[in-house]
Amino acid sequence: MALLELSGVSKRFGSTQALSDASFSLAAGEVHGLCGANGAGKSTLSRVISGHVQPDQSRFVLDGQERHFTSSRDALRAGICMVTQETTLAPDLSVLENIMLPRLGMPGALNWRRLREEAAQLVAGLGGDIQLTLDETVGTLSIGQRQMVEILKALALDSRIIIFDEPTASLSPFESEILFGIMRDLTARGHGLIFVSHRLEEIFGVCDRITVLREGRLVASGATTASMTGGELVRLMIGRELADVFARGDDPPAEPLRTGKPVLRVRNLASSPLVRDVSFELHAGEILGLAGLIGAGRSETLETIFGLRKATGGKVELEGDAFSPRRPVDAIRAGVALVPEDRRHQSIVPDLSVRENLLLAHLGDHRGFGRGYAARKTEAERLLDLLGLPPDRLWDPDLLNFSGGMQQKIILARWLLLKPRVLMLDEPTRGVDIGTRSSIYALLRRIAAEGVAVLVVSSDFEEVIGISDRIVVMSDGVSVAEFPSRLVSIESLAMFAAPRSSAKRTHAVLEELVAAHGGVACWVGIEQDRLFCFDRAGSETRADPGIAAGQIHDVSTLAMALALTARAPGFVTDTDAKQTLAIAIMGRRGHELGLVSLTLPAGNPLPDAETLTRQVQDRLAAKGSLALGKAA
Amino acid sequence: MTEEIVPAAPPRHGVLKLFATQIELRMLLLTLAVMLVLAISSPYFRTLNNLLNAMDQSVVVGLVALGQTLVILIGGIDLAVGSLVGVTGIVLGLCFPSLGLYGAVAACLVTGAVAGTISGAITTFGRVAPFVVTLGMMSIGRSLAYVLSGATSISAIPPALGDLSSLTIFGVPLNFTLLIIVYLLAWWFLSRAKGGRTLYAIGSNNAAARVAGLSISIWSVLAYTISGLMAAVSAIFLTSRVLSIDPLAGTGLELDSIAAVVIGGASLFGGRGSIIGTLFGVFIMVFIRNGLNLLGVSPYWQGTAIGSIIIAAVLLERIVSSRARR
Repeated sequence: MALLELSGVSKRFGSTQALSDASFSLAAGEVHGLCGANGAGKSTLSRVISGHVQPDQSRFVLDGQERHFTSSRDALRAGICMVTQETTLAPDLSVLENIMLPRLGMPGALNWRRLREEAAQLVAGLGGDIQLTLDETVGTLSIGQRQMVEILKALALDSRIIIFDEPTASLSPFESEILFGIMRDLTARGHGLIFVSHRLEEIFGVCDRITVLREGRLVASGATTASMTGGELVRLMIGRELADVFARGDDPPAEPLRTGKPVLRVRNLASSPLVRDVSFELHAGEILGLAGLIGAGRSETLETIFGLRKATGGKVELEGDAFSPRRPVDAIRAGVALVPEDRRHQSIVPDLSVRENLLLAHLGDHRGFGRGYAARKTEAERLLDLLGLPPDRLWDPDLLNFSGGMQQKIILARWLLLKPRVLMLDEPTRGVDIGTRSSIYALLRRIAAEGVAVLVVSSDFEEVIGISDRIVVMSDGVSVAEFPSRLVSIESLAMFAAPRSSAKRTHAVLEELVAAHGGVACWVGIEQDRLFCFDRAGSETRADPGIAAGQIHDVSTLAMALALTARAPGFVTDTDAKQTLAIAIMGRRGHELGLVSLTLPAGNPLPDAETLTRQVQDRLAAKGSLALGKAA
Repeated sequence: MTEEIVPAAPPRHGVLKLFATQIELRMLLLTLAVMLVLAISSPYFRTLNNLLNAMDQSVVVGLVALGQTLVILIGGIDLAVGSLVGVTGIVLGLCFPSLGLYGAVAACLVTGAVAGTISGAITTFGRVAPFVVTLGMMSIGRSLAYVLSGATSISAIPPALGDLSSLTIFGVPLNFTLLIIVYLLAWWFLSRAKGGRTLYAIGSNNAAARVAGLSISIWSVLAYTISGLMAAVSAIFLTSRVLSIDPLAGTGLELDSIAAVVIGGASLFGGRGSIIGTLFGVFIMVFIRNGLNLLGVSPYWQGTAIGSIIIAAVLLERIVSSRARR
């Protein structure tokens, strides 16, 4: 019998129909994926289930009984809990207090000793891999650990239904593996889990059934995962082929377009504490993607370049001249524009009309006592036309009444009006419906083709690969890799972007290998004919495998190609007589998370391959302790 | 590809639309309604003399409320204006003997502007809540007014200053005419000048204004500077009316000015409000006080009446404007 059964769910936010006649059902012991592109309504539906959002219409049946929640507290009491990205933890309280936080709101005195015992049991119940000290202050935990606390909090309430809303958005692949392991355990214990995500590989990895939403409507209801392919799911999610969305034309350019000197050159830029060492070059006419997980310091990098944050190190050059804006207006007058991440809080001025919102950056740029609006009239109208907006919409008093996509177009127009040389966009399609998304992509291509240097930050790996010519990957405030986007896949991008706190462990293993046996050790991923080098230790030239951290190589050109592709259990002699051992690291779901290679100079004595393989695998296999190390 | 949803503007027509979107119009109607009620209840209210009297009474609070509007527009509040009227008035009185009329007026204005700038700089750069900073400044201002004056009023005021309050232009008092001119200038500034639009943007969304390159620090301070300056101007007009200044002068003006701004439709969260609305707010306050006096309502009850009207006006404005914004 279904644990939860929703039907006829409709919800309208202002002018946006977020959900219309959606339905959803969840059985005990299953993971049910709730998928859809950005803005498809999956978050709204999950928030309806968790009681955070009250639907305009719905039939809500829990355990065969019709229910009506008026708040998330109602849902909590009924055993429905949500684990979100923006964690709802109190950072100054301890792990124990956070886990038991909902109890504090219940009548009666607290028995802390009993609560402590209960919490310890819950931690033990999640399996031995979890290392959490109950007295630790939550503010000092890593993101992965905080999510575990959230889950424990849900379990402490005896929640039978747990909603995971984009739980992996800031987790490394290792941490995600642990989370999926815990999810499996929970389903085995009879919990029903809802998994909200748009990452295909995860959906297929953990979900038993899938419900797909598109623009608030149901396009697939409870289909079994096994019966579906990735391509079908993408078509369901976006209603067409992926390539169409990114408006790339037939083929991405073989080599990114670069004309002459870079427009923007960033060297070892730092802005404590979030930006630590960022370097890249941005050329006129190209779209450069800045990829990474949430919290990697990408937005902060843009803000530092734009003069919103003080640089604490490194330098930036704009067309060859030193560029260090103290305030945004300095950057604006130098031809740099920024479309910030949070539209509501950093872009829209709700009390100004749409027209004044469009002219806001002009107002900042304008010198003089008056407003100087008249001088921009023609250009503003031309831009509106380019964006496909009717000119009379300018006189609307309230930009907040517009759909997300329309709002974003107005904000884009705000900056294009100034004819910038460098256009920086932070999550340009967040909260934008899929139709408008592809028109924004097309617009960015057009702007770049006109010679503007475009820098795009996105947490959506699909988007960053689809829209960019080149990608720079950031992790924990450091730019760690750079390559043409056509060479990279979503999976390998996720490995490059893994937070340093988890990469540290693998790096330590590489260093140990080199210390014990000499040579060069690498952490790589292989996809078809491409090798992604995530990390490397050792500098012995006689053992140099010819690959470098943060780079992509063509496997067939490498001397150690055979060792990597043959997957032989022992050392393989490379074409240049060096010897390489490749050790596959497997995830919990039995899929490969990458390879560790150890290359030794020709003629060196070889360690026992079998022992070494086991040692490395033990150290690296997705053990709880690995990912749950303390935050750096 | 799906059709993009372009939400239509809520359907509004003609007069209703004008009424819903123009706060100035709503305030004008409200003012007229208050006048009508009072004119019916009290025959004396209808006399020209009383109208002139009301004009005269609106000058002092009107000038202070103008500065207060700018501060409230950026999401701040200036509690110091009342005591600044006191201290700048005392400075004016003390400076006449040594600096002459113009010198004393200049000293008075500088004192107000500097005090306002100090409040503004501390809230802006020191990131202290404006409520706290101006509360402190309020106490300091009143205390200095007593210290400088030796706790006595100053009556040695050159009679020439009295012209400000006694002269008329075509029958309209000079001071009231000047008040209207200052308000028109402020209206032009707030709606047509870069600085004015910056004030709105700061109050409505500070972060967005910053990203767009507006000079938010400068204008956040200047709003308080202007508020302090207007308190000094107000002190000059107050002194000219009675040719004497008391260290207690201006007591309660902070609340009256805030009330006028709020009745005039401004949001205390900033970003929303209108200078013309404030002017009508001032008129409503003055008329009601005046009317209650004429009707013989005990002064002790007037506070209750004014307070209820403030709450009712804001509640009404909130309902009407939230309808309009939907």
